[in-house]
Amino acid sequence: MSPRLRGPVVAVLLAAIAFAGCAQPSHRTAAQLGGDPERGAVLMVREACGACHVIPGIQEAHGEVGPPLTGFARRTMIAGLLPNTPPNLARWILTPQAIVPGNAMPDIELSPREAADMAAYLETLN
Amino acid sequence: MKRWLGLLLRLGLPWAAGLASVGVVGLGVVLTGAFNTTASTPHAAPIAWVTHLTMTNAVKRNATQLSNPPAFTPADVLDGARTYDANCGVCHGGPGVARAPWVGGMTPSPPFLLDASRNWTSKELFWIVRYGVRMTGMPAWDQTLSEHDVWNLVAFLKALPNMSAADYARATAAQPAPAGSGLARTP
Repeated sequence: MSPRLRGPVVAVLLAAIAFAGCAQPSHRTAAQLGGDPERGAVLMVREACGACHVIPGIQEAHGEVGPPLTGFARRTMIAGLLPNTPPNLARWILTPQAIVPGNAMPDIELSPREAADMAAYLETLN
Repeated sequence: MKRWLGLLLRLGLPWAAGLASVGVVGLGVVLTGAFNTTASTPHAAPIAWVTHLTMTNAVKRNATQLSNPPAFTPADVLDGARTYDANCGVCHGGPGVARAPWVGGMTPSPPFLLDASRNWTSKELFWIVRYGVRMTGMPAWDQTLSEHDVWNLVAFLKALPNMSAADYARATAAQPAPAGSGLARTP
């Protein structure tokens, strides 16, 4: 390719990639035994978890109100209280006020399935 | 002269063609409805990046034209807490307090504001609250809250990082201030 064409061609390709990136994220519909991390990631954006937590792989998730969730799969305890297992994590996400009353993290209206999906996402963070 | 024109054409034409093709694709997206405008899934990463950065920079640029905020008193914080509870908490929640359940269906999702004052200056917070943010669902409050009310909201947001869930519950427990109840602040 001649050098004078290279710049514009690269620019057009980059624009095409940007448009492609705007396509819908794919949804897995197959029922799985555990939570679905992909659905969990979408829920974490929708529920604005990133306003208070740094969460790798989640848009705009650089809040520093609560602890960063970086490397969460390696974390030993949840809220310094519960052993870090997927069921415990789902329980914490669902009802943090029942576990540590008066803490800043609200009980949000989620189904147990949604909490399990969010837990599944966090357990992928190594 | 002729050489310059030749050089301009040689270098400029490919760029013009490239930009035109991007424009054609963009127009195609606009005219065919290929862009998904539903709120049920989050923004794609490039859209989130462009829109959020545009908003952040516009707020930072415009807020500089405001005069300095008044000195905030504990009474201002308390008044701001009640105004916040009556008008803002439904979408933004509070320490230990969830947003309304339907708010998770908004795109972009309204943030919790516990550390908003760590990321924005008082003037920037005033600018966002008073004039709103297009295409996010954040209304301009200049029709329903006085400047005094909005500064008190800013006073509250500044105090928020030091409030526990119990502090917040106490501050908002009193009679909520209805929108537009503020007195005009004398400069």
